[in-house]
Amino acid sequence: MLAFIGFRVLMMIPNVIILTFLLFACVTTFLGTPAAIMLGEEASPEAVAELNARLGFDGPLLTRYLRWMENAFSGDFGRSYATQESVGSMIVHALPLTLELALWAIVIAFIFAPLMNSFPVLRRTVQSLNSVISLVGITIPNFFLGLLLIYVLSVELRLLPTTGWAPWSDGVLAHLEHMVMPVLTLTNFYFSTFTLIYVSEYRAVQSSLFVQVARSKGLSETRISFRHILPNSILPLITYAGLSLGQLVGGAVVVETVFSMPGMGRLLVSAIAARDFPVMLAVGLVIIVGVMVMNLLADLAYGLVNPTVRTVA
Amino acid sequence: MRTLSFSRILGLVLLAIIAAVVAFAPLIAPYDPVAASVDVLAPPSADHLFGTDSLGRDVLSRIIYGTRVSLQVGAASAIVAVLVGTPIGLAAGYFRGRVDLVLVQIIDLFVALPGLVLALIITAMLGATVANLAITLGVVTAPTVARLVRGQVFVVREMLFVEAARATGASSAWIIRHHILPNVTRVILGQLAIKVSYAIFTSASLSYLGLGVPPPAPDWGGMVRDGASFLPILPLLSLGPGAAVALTVFTFHLVGSTKK
Repeated sequence: MLAFIGFRVLMMIPNVIILTFLLFACVTTFLGTPAAIMLGEEASPEAVAELNARLGFDGPLLTRYLRWMENAFSGDFGRSYATQESVGSMIVHALPLTLELALWAIVIAFIFAPLMNSFPVLRRTVQSLNSVISLVGITIPNFFLGLLLIYVLSVELRLLPTTGWAPWSDGVLAHLEHMVMPVLTLTNFYFSTFTLIYVSEYRAVQSSLFVQVARSKGLSETRISFRHILPNSILPLITYAGLSLGQLVGGAVVVETVFSMPGMGRLLVSAIAARDFPVMLAVGLVIIVGVMVMNLLADLAYGLVNPTVRTVA
Repeated sequence: MRTLSFSRILGLVLLAIIAAVVAFAPLIAPYDPVAASVDVLAPPSADHLFGTDSLGRDVLSRIIYGTRVSLQVGAASAIVAVLVGTPIGLAAGYFRGRVDLVLVQIIDLFVALPGLVLALIITAMLGATVANLAITLGVVTAPTVARLVRGQVFVVREMLFVEAARATGASSAWIIRHHILPNVTRVILGQLAIKVSYAIFTSASLSYLGLGVPPPAPDWGGMVRDGASFLPILPLLSLGPGAAVALTVFTFHLVGSTKK
């Protein structure tokens, strides 16, 4: 197991280097140098070169990349061109919100998708119904679902605050009130796909020999369903959760924009709109490392429950 | 089995309706989609079934013409995805070994990344036009096509007729073109509708975030974005085009996933 973990961690390093280099090269080559953007089109080439040098944007690409990585390693992501704020502290403020959002979404989907589709009573009806709903669920865009929720729950029924965000320090209730709709919106995708995968897996496992044995032993349908079929149908969900983290991040970007929440997604969107290099690069780096680490965790979780995949190659 | 054929019929009927809307947009749409008027933010009425937006443009007409824009991006990027992804998948699957190892590493790397974020950054770099959006979304989707093709090639390359071709001394290029490719085409075409649905979904999300087809073109995501601030008074302004996106994505997904 230790060799397996070590191998996976080592494999991550080249991937992170390749991706961050691509990110850095693309962002800094295509968008023009920061000084050119800051000073506008009428600025003299000398002024642009001078400001670029001051911002640490001179020298060949590789040197600039290494300088950026070196600073990033010591936690220094520079200052935002738009607000002059330290990018590190912007990220420290935005990241917990996005992580919380994503965590709620995954946990809720992971608990409810298997549970709701396992009750023996009415199982056929519930499973079919959930499958149909899920088909709609995976195709509905986050921004539409979010606005729909706002319209129904906030505008018409006046149950929840429309948009915005309240930190935990404003009170647990206020915080959760602002979280309900964003989390529901973000959970939708995972819940729908989990349901589709779980139901098909459940149906396959249902006809296995050990289920027949359990049934002939006279176990109750509830026990068979929850103790025998559920644990054996849940494995693909772990793999899928790991594989589709990218979609979760994309979803979070949209959800944070719909509900105007100050998380990483909004940070990225506003940085792109303002051509704010240091913020774009830093958010990109965090997303790359985040996705890689979460992928690794999903792999490890899978290895933990299924020993046969613990091979190095 | 009955539900399967039902969803298949539903998908094809919806697809036919969408195709009709695309083809006959000028006949169906009551107004010019980009013509502004003084009738600003009018509520739904007999004249304007979905009301008008902040520039006095008829929302229904914009939704109808938006189908064209949306499908243009969707179809073009699906084609780009297939054109880019297929050769990579063919090479990885056919040559295996080192070629495969390298290509699969790259494919997996990009499949894991958030497609929307990738598209966001690339679109920001290239600038948002219909052509750039199609290329961007196509490239972002290509790795999934490559992975699918690779899996299929693994199966086909072991078949007897391929073996026979190799035994007669046919070159790799010839075998791939005449034996492998024809046998994976069906799978690729089956995926096309799913890719179109993904591209429409993602391009609408991009426009919603402000990086879509530039105005004044009637673009669904952009309409949702502009209309969202009027949600309490004129919900159809944003929910109308939003529903259009959802319905179109649903249709293509249904057609793609129920195809045999």
